This record gives sequence, C-alpha cells and structure tokens, in this order.
Amino acid sequence: MNHLARMIRDTFTIARRDFTAIVGTPTFLLFLLAPVLMVSFGAIGGAGGAMVGKNAEAKQRAYAILSSDAAAHFTAVDKRMRDIFTGDATPVDVEVVAPQGDPATQARQLLDQQEHDVPAVMYGPLDQPEILHRNEKSSTARYLAEVAEQVVRNQAAGITQPLSTPHFVHVARQGSSIGGKSATGFFAVTILFVLSLMLSGQTVGTMAEERSNKVIEILAASVRLESVFLGKLLGMFAVAVVFLAFWGGLVLFMSLFLPSDMMSKISDMRPAFGIVPFALLFLGYFTMAYLLLGSVFLGVGAQASTPREIQMLSLPITIFQMAMLGLASASVALPDQPISLIARVFPFSSPFAMLAYAARSPSLWPHALAFAWQLLWVGLSIWLGARFFRLGVLKSAGPRRKKRWGRKVSEPMAATNP
Amino acid sequence: MGNDLALSATGLVKRFGGKRVVDGIDIAVPKGSIYGVLGPNGAGKTTTLRMLLGIIEPDAGERTLLGSDHPREISDDIGYLPEERGLYPGMKCKDAIAFMGALRGLDWATGRKRAVELMEQTGLGHAPDMKIRKLSKGMAQFVQLLGSVVHRPSFLVLDEPFSGLDPVNQERLETLILGERDRGATILFSTHVMAHAERLCDRLCVIAGGKRRFEGTVADARALLPMKVHYEPHHEGSGIKAILPSDAVREEDGWRFTLPEEGIESLLVRLIDAGHGISGLSIERPTLHDAFVEIVGRKAAEEMA
Repeated sequence: MNHLARMIRDTFTIARRDFTAIVGTPTFLLFLLAPVLMVSFGAIGGAGGAMVGKNAEAKQRAYAILSSDAAAHFTAVDKRMRDIFTGDATPVDVEVVAPQGDPATQARQLLDQQEHDVPAVMYGPLDQPEILHRNEKSSTARYLAEVAEQVVRNQAAGITQPLSTPHFVHVARQGSSIGGKSATGFFAVTILFVLSLMLSGQTVGTMAEERSNKVIEILAASVRLESVFLGKLLGMFAVAVVFLAFWGGLVLFMSLFLPSDMMSKISDMRPAFGIVPFALLFLGYFTMAYLLLGSVFLGVGAQASTPREIQMLSLPITIFQMAMLGLASASVALPDQPISLIARVFPFSSPFAMLAYAARSPSLWPHALAFAWQLLWVGLSIWLGARFFRLGVLKSAGPRRKKRWGRKVSEPMAATNP
Repeated sequence: MGNDLALSATGLVKRFGGKRVVDGIDIAVPKGSIYGVLGPNGAGKTTTLRMLLGIIEPDAGERTLLGSDHPREISDDIGYLPEERGLYPGMKCKDAIAFMGALRGLDWATGRKRAVELMEQTGLGHAPDMKIRKLSKGMAQFVQLLGSVVHRPSFLVLDEPFSGLDPVNQERLETLILGERDRGATILFSTHVMAHAERLCDRLCVIAGGKRRFEGTVADARALLPMKVHYEPHHEGSGIKAILPSDAVREEDGWRFTLPEEGIESLLVRLIDAGHGISGLSIERPTLHDAFVEIVGRKAAEEMA
C-alpha cells in the first residue's frame, strides 16, 4: 500500500471513529438543537423589542392647529405626500385640530400633553407657520413645514386636483441589481462566518481530549500524526455537515411558507452566478473555511493539555475569527480597493472574501484558483500543527530522511525542551 | 542486519532538554523470541521503545525493524501496548479493539469478530458490549492489550504490560504472550518486575541511566553472580567461623556464604571432621533479581566513583 492510500485509510479510520463517537451521544442532540434555543430567545427578544417599538410609535402624534378651510387642504396634501414614504420613513400621524383661544398657548398644551409623545405642533397661517418641536433635527417638524408649503403653493396656483396622472408599469429585473449583489455578498459572508464560528471552533479541544484520555500514544504509534490531525478535522467536519444539512433542509422547508413580500425581497438578493451555482460555491467555501480555521484551531488546541488552557485559547481564537470577518466585510464594502484583494488572497479570510466576490462577479476561474490555494493552506496548517505537536508534546522532530542537503542525516538533532 | 533478527538498533541517543535520557543503546532481538528490556523506573526504557517504533525519532543512532529503517512504514505489522494506558471511555470493548486493529489496517468487521473471540479466550467473554468506562482498570488494560494483538502482528511491543494487573490477570497475560510467540510473533516487552522476565524472556537487556548495562539470556545474567550456600550446622561450635569461607555471615538458622570455587565437598568434610555436622544444606543459584540489583548497583557505584 503506498503512502497516499495508507494516509487516506488512516485518516478515514480516525474520522469515522470521531464522527460516530460524537453523533452517537445525547450531547449531539443538544448540539443539533442548540439553534432552536438561540432562535427562540432571539424571537422572544425581537418580538418584545418590536412590540415596545410599535407601542412607542403608536403613541407619537403631531398636531396642526388650522381653521376648517385650511384643514381640508392640509389633510389632502398630507395624505398624498404620505404615500411617498414607506416603512420606518413614514411620518408620524398628523392630527388637525381647530384653534381654541390663543393658538400659541394651545400649541404648548398639545406639546406638553401626557397622552401622546408629540414631536411637533404647527399653528398660525400656513404661509408663515409657527412650528414647535422637541428635537433640533426633527423630521416631523420639517414634514409639517413641507406640507404647509405645498398647500400654500397649490392655493397660489389655484390647484385643487393633481395635475399629473401617472401610469405605473412594473418591469421585473432580468439580472441582479448592484445593491442586490452587495446585499447577497454581505448576507452570505455573514452566514458563512456564523457557521464557521459556531462549528470550526469545536476542533480546539479534540487533541486535548486525546491527551487527557491518553489515547494519543496509541494513535501516534499506529498512524502518522498528519493523519490523526486530518482525521480529527474531517470527523468534526462531518458532524458540521450533518448540522448544516439538518438546518439547511429545515430552512428550505420553512421558506415554502414565507409570505410573498418576504420572498420577493429574498429573490432580489440574486448573486451574479445564479442561485444554484452560488449555493454550490457557498458549500465549497464553507468546507474551505471550516478546514482552514479548524486546522489552525486544532493545531493550536493540540498544544493545550487542560480544559483551562483550552479556555484561555478561546479568546485569541475568537479575535482571529473576528479579524477574518472584518477583512471579508471590508472586501464586500470596498470591492475595488486593495483590501478586497488582500482579503481574497490571505488564506484564512479567502473563503469569506471569495464568496462575496462570487456574489458580484460571474467569473469562474478565480474560484478554481482560490480552492487550490485554500487547500494548499489546509495541508500546510495540518502539517504545521502536527509538527508543533511532535516537537512540543512528543518532544521529537519528524521522521528523518536519508539525505538532506547532500549529507546523511544521522547526526544529533537540536535538543528539544523537556 | 542478519535475517534472523526482527529488530536491531545501534547507538540510539535521545536528549530531552540537554539531558541524554537514552545514551547509545544497542539492541538485537532475534525473530520469534521474547525479549525483555529491564530497568529501574526512569531508566529510559519507554523512550527506547518509542524510538524503536518510530513514535519519536532518535537524536543519533540507527534502527531496523522487520527489515525496514522506517518503522512507521511497517506499522501495520506491529502491535504496541504503551505504558500509559488509554482507551475511549464511551466505546464498547469490541469496538475499541476493532478500532485499534483498524489503525493497523484490519477491517472493522473482522476486528469486531476477532475481538469477541479474543475476549472469550481470555476470560472476558461477558464484556464485548460493555462500555470501557464500566470496566475495572485491570479489565480495561486487558482490552487494550487485546487491541494490540487483534491484527496478528509480527512484532509485538509491550511497555510494562504487567503493571496494574492482579495475579490472575498476570498469569493470563503470560499465557497470551507465550501464545503470541507460538503463533510466530516476536515480542519485546519492558518491565521492572524480574519474575515475569525470568519466566518469559529468551533474551534480555538491562538499561539504567539511559545506558545498556547487560545483554544476554536469563542464564547469562544469573551467571554473573556466584551461587550461594546456606548451611545449618548440627552442633554449633566456637571454631566454626574459622572453617567457613571468609564471607560467611550468620543468619537466624545457619550460615550463608559464596560457593567456593573448588566446590562444597572439601568444606563439608572439614566441618564434619570438626564435629559440627550438617543439619541443613542448600546451594542456591542467584535469581534474576539478584543479578539485576548487582548490574544496576555495581554500574551506578562505578559511575559515582
């Protein structure tokens, strides 16, 4: 059996053991269902927050103190202008009230009332309105002024009805918009980051576990350390794939029941490639991100021998992951800047940045190059992890070759630390 | 290396932190033999075994195992029980054994089948489906031992295999080792318990302070020391000390001294003529333990001098 075949066999033996050992435990169910807890808490918090927000908005009201003839015009213009705004940009409801006594005093009373939050009150003639407001940058005050301006303009020109009657024709976009591509890139990178953050970090403790249960010597005596590292990485990756398949399937199923307006928003987030090739690239880059980050974490974690050391390592590991997200996010936001190229070339941010690149560019060959480059770094990371483990834990350099630089290497190697 | 050697190593050196924990060890293990590596705690036995197997690389020296200069490349033909026992606590016994076989190239199904057979043969027939965490320490150790032989290796290395086993399991282990030898395997094991080495080893070496102090058969080792005589006089008299050899020391029920080079007969005649008679007499060969203490102690004394 040649070296490669043997390495593959050993790697899969270790991966198989780790995979079955993990998925065959009740803890795995907890791990699989952990997002339910996360989503549940998020939903409860989100719903609570939204409810508080809506209640606060419902309690807001602006006032216009106007005589009855001005009130009709004001209400008509307010209704027409309000149609321009959607969502959070929609102005606060404006209630038109008749003047009672001194308008200035009435306006102050309305502003100071306890029943509603009142951001602005307008009174006086529409060509010279007085607007009381609570906030220097109040958009409500400016909105009231703009409605008054329109009413005065219409009255000056004698306009009572809209002069233009437009016919709106909806034309569906064939490709994706620039904004849609950017949104897709950012969305995909965020999802990829969250997945890799949740899943690849688990590799940190796997070698420490082997050291604590003392199986490491059995493994090290039987197979190459590189196979041990790669096998452990692939075993954990297989667990991550089960997780991804479970939740991916569930999300796809749930998407069948999404409201149509939400689906149309999602469909606007079309990448340059099209959905299916982009999804395949997503899986490819998820694999690469997992293997790259996982191999680094595995190698670093292998130097730790106690749970406390593992805990100490979690902070620099999280900082490293955040740095990679920052680099990838910068490449999404600044696609034409050198930072974008750096993010795509630097191996540990490359999967994220290349996924963002896939959202905006239809070229395929850069991805082939990126996969080869990232795979090379997976191999390097595993080799380095195994080498440092050999030196730091087993106190031994790697197997010696017959010849190095033309001389036989049977001389003493550099002494290692105890 | 001769074709009759399963393992040969020359001049093995290993330094940890500047200290030579193994200092120029030579070992030659004939095929089909049981070879013991003896030494006190901290002598460098485990480091030597690890170097022989290629788990760690020597800083100097060469070794050839089953004809290969790269032991890792023939690891499928090797069985190894490390000194620090380790198993996955959540695995079933038969799976743990099969896993260790799979690491050496044995397919899982065959591994499981053989695991059940081996456990049956060694008195653990009730435990193939038990989780490792449910086993006693001795049982778990035996399971690991079975894992090291399940793939039927040509060369079996056992590092302190008897430590932690009760007398019954020690006897089972001795039977298993002999069975492996009869199957054709070569066995190399380390121990600091002389009784096992004395019963099992065809050849042995003694390591102390990282150096090899002795190499040969058990008989060779025992022959390093002269035989001892235990004599009980029938009538103890005041002149008996003058007749006995100069190294004779008084024990509770008699005298103990080294067997004279010319033999015991002339001494016995003199004792009988002097009227001391013979109430008891035994001539004792030195044990391997005596030889071991002599080898390790003498060399240590030489170094101190």
